[in-house]
Amino acid sequence: MDVRPAFPLPDTAWKPIHEFWAGAAEHELRIPKCDACGRLCWYPREKCRHCKTTSFTWQTVSGRGTLFSWVVVTHAFLPQFADLVPFAPALVALEEDPAVRLATRIVDCDLDAIEFEMPVEVTFRPISFAGVDGEVTAPLFVPAR
Amino acid sequence: MSPTPAAAPDWGWATEYENVSGEVAICGVGESDHSKASGRTTRDIVGQAVERALADAGLEPRDVDGLMYISMPDQMDVAGFHEYFGTDHDMWESKGGGGMTHAAAAPYEAAHALRDGLASVILNTFGVAWATQRSNMVGGPGESHAQELFKQNLEIPMGWFPQPVYFATVARRHMFEFGTTQEQLGAIAVAQRRNANHTPTAVMHDRTLTMEQYLAAPTIVAPFRKEDCCLISDGGGAFLMTSTERARDMAKPVVEVAGVGLGNSSTGTHWAQQPAFTSTPQVFAAPVAFEMAGVTHDDIDLYTCYDPFTIHTLMQLEDSGFCPKGEGGAFVEGDTLNFDSGKLPTNTHGGLLSHAYVLGIAHVVEVVRQVRGEAAAQVPGAEIGIYGGYTGPQAATLILRRVP
Ligand SMILES: [Zn+2]
Repeated sequence: MDVRPAFPLPDTAWKPIHEFWAGAAEHELRIPKCDACGRLCWYPREKCRHCKTTSFTWQTVSGRGTLFSWVVVTHAFLPQFADLVPFAPALVALEEDPAVRLATRIVDCDLDAIEFEMPVEVTFRPISFAGVDGEVTAPLFVPAR
Repeated sequence: MSPTPAAAPDWGWATEYENVSGEVAICGVGESDHSKASGRTTRDIVGQAVERALADAGLEPRDVDGLMYISMPDQMDVAGFHEYFGTDHDMWESKGGGGMTHAAAAPYEAAHALRDGLASVILNTFGVAWATQRSNMVGGPGESHAQELFKQNLEIPMGWFPQPVYFATVARRHMFEFGTTQEQLGAIAVAQRRNANHTPTAVMHDRTLTMEQYLAAPTIVAPFRKEDCCLISDGGGAFLMTSTERARDMAKPVVEVAGVGLGNSSTGTHWAQQPAFTSTPQVFAAPVAFEMAGVTHDDIDLYTCYDPFTIHTLMQLEDSGFCPKGEGGAFVEGDTLNFDSGKLPTNTHGGLLSHAYVLGIAHVVEVVRQVRGEAAAQVPGAEIGIYGGYTGPQAATLILRRVP
C-alpha cells in the first residue's frame, strides 16, 4: 500500500489530530469541544456535528468510559500487526459524552474476561509495530480499578 | 407485513428521488467467470461480462450508446469500451455506476438519461481482479480505508482495521443489544453456501458448509470466523438498461425497475461514530423504493443484498423492514434464506460470502434472472426481487419486477 513509511504509526503532525497525540504524549486525553454548544465533537471536523459552529477548544477529559464493543483479533490483517496478535481492538464510550467513541485497544486484561459496558480507564503506552521504526505514546484502555 | 416506520431517525437521510417507477427496464445481464486468483486482468473480466450481457439482450456493441462505471482502477470507460469492441461511436457516460450501492442506484440516473434522450441503451459494468492482485499486496478492499487520514491516524494505530474488524465490532454490539447469537450469524453463512451449492457459477459451488462446521471453525476476529467474511475474487458483471417500451420488443421477458431509493449516513465511513451503530442506511433507502414501487414486503419473492459479512445481511433485512429492528437473528434461523424452501429466499446465488466478491453487480444479474425464471437456484414463481446495495456511508434499494 502506498502510505507513509511509518504506517501504521500515526502521523502526529497532521493538523486535525495533532492535539490528540500531543496530549497523549503528556498523558492527557484531549478531545475537541464546541465553543458554542459545549458538546464534544469526535472525530475532529470543520463544523460541529450538533450546531454547525466552526470554533473548538481541545479539552482534557477524565479518561474514564465504558466498553462499547470489541473484537479479539487472532489473524494479523496487516503484516505490521504480527507481533500484536491476539489483541482486542475496541470502541470506548467516554464518560463525559458516551456518543464519543474512541477507537482503542484493551490491554492488561484476559481477553476472555472482557465484558460489555465494563468500566474502563485510559492508560498511556508506547505503541510500535513489526518492521516499523519508532514508537508513539497512545491512549489504550484497561479495566477500571 | 409492512411495519410502519417510527419517526425518521436523525443519523442520516434519504436522497430525494423523483418517481421513475416503470420507466427503465434491464434488458440484458452478464457475468464473467468468477474465480480465485486467475491471472486475468480487470479489463478482460469486464469485457467478458459485457459480451455476455450483449448476447443476452440480443444487442451489438454499437447499439450501446450510454456507459456507467465507477472511477476505480481498470474499470471500463468509453475509451476502454471502444478499444475492447473496436467501435468508435458517440456514447453518453457517467461515473455513477459500478457495484455496491451504485449497482442499485444506477437505474435512477439511467432513467433521467433515457428521459432526456442522452442515450437509448445504457450499460453498467463492474469488475475486480482482487484475488490476483492480493498476492502482490496492491489494491484490494482495505486500501481505500487505509488511505483515509482519520482512520490512518486515529483507528489503524490502535489496530481497529480493516473491514473484518469494523464489522465484527458491529456484530458483537448487535449481540449485546438484541441477543443475536453465533448460530444466527452461522445460519446466514450456511444458507448462502447452500444456495451457492446450487449455482454452478459460484466460486464455492463445490464446497458445502454445515452449522457444525461453521461453529467448529476458529474465529479470526471474534465473533467472526472466516465463514462470516466475504470471499476475495476475480470477477465482474454487467447489465443493460433501456426504456421499458423498447424492452418489450427485445428477446427476454421485460424486467422493470419498479422502485429505487438511496440512503445516507451522516458519519460516512467513520463507523465508530455512527450513532445507530448496528444499523445501515437502508433505514432511509428502503422506504423510498417500496413507496415508489407501490409494493409491500409480502410482495417480495426474493431478497439479495451486499453482504461483505454475515451481519450485513442480518442488519439490512431488519433495516429494510422485513422484520423489526433487533429481530433479524430470529428471522434468519433455520431455512428462511434458502432459495427453495425459505420464507424469504436471500442471496440465492450465494452472495459475496459464497458466490463471488464482485461487489454486488452479480446480485443484480441474479435478481434479473430470478424474476425472468432462469436462475440456477430458481425461486419458484419469482416475479419481484430486491437488490440492497451498501457501501457503509450509503445504502440503496432496487426493486425489480417482471412485467406481465
Ligand atoms: Zn456545537
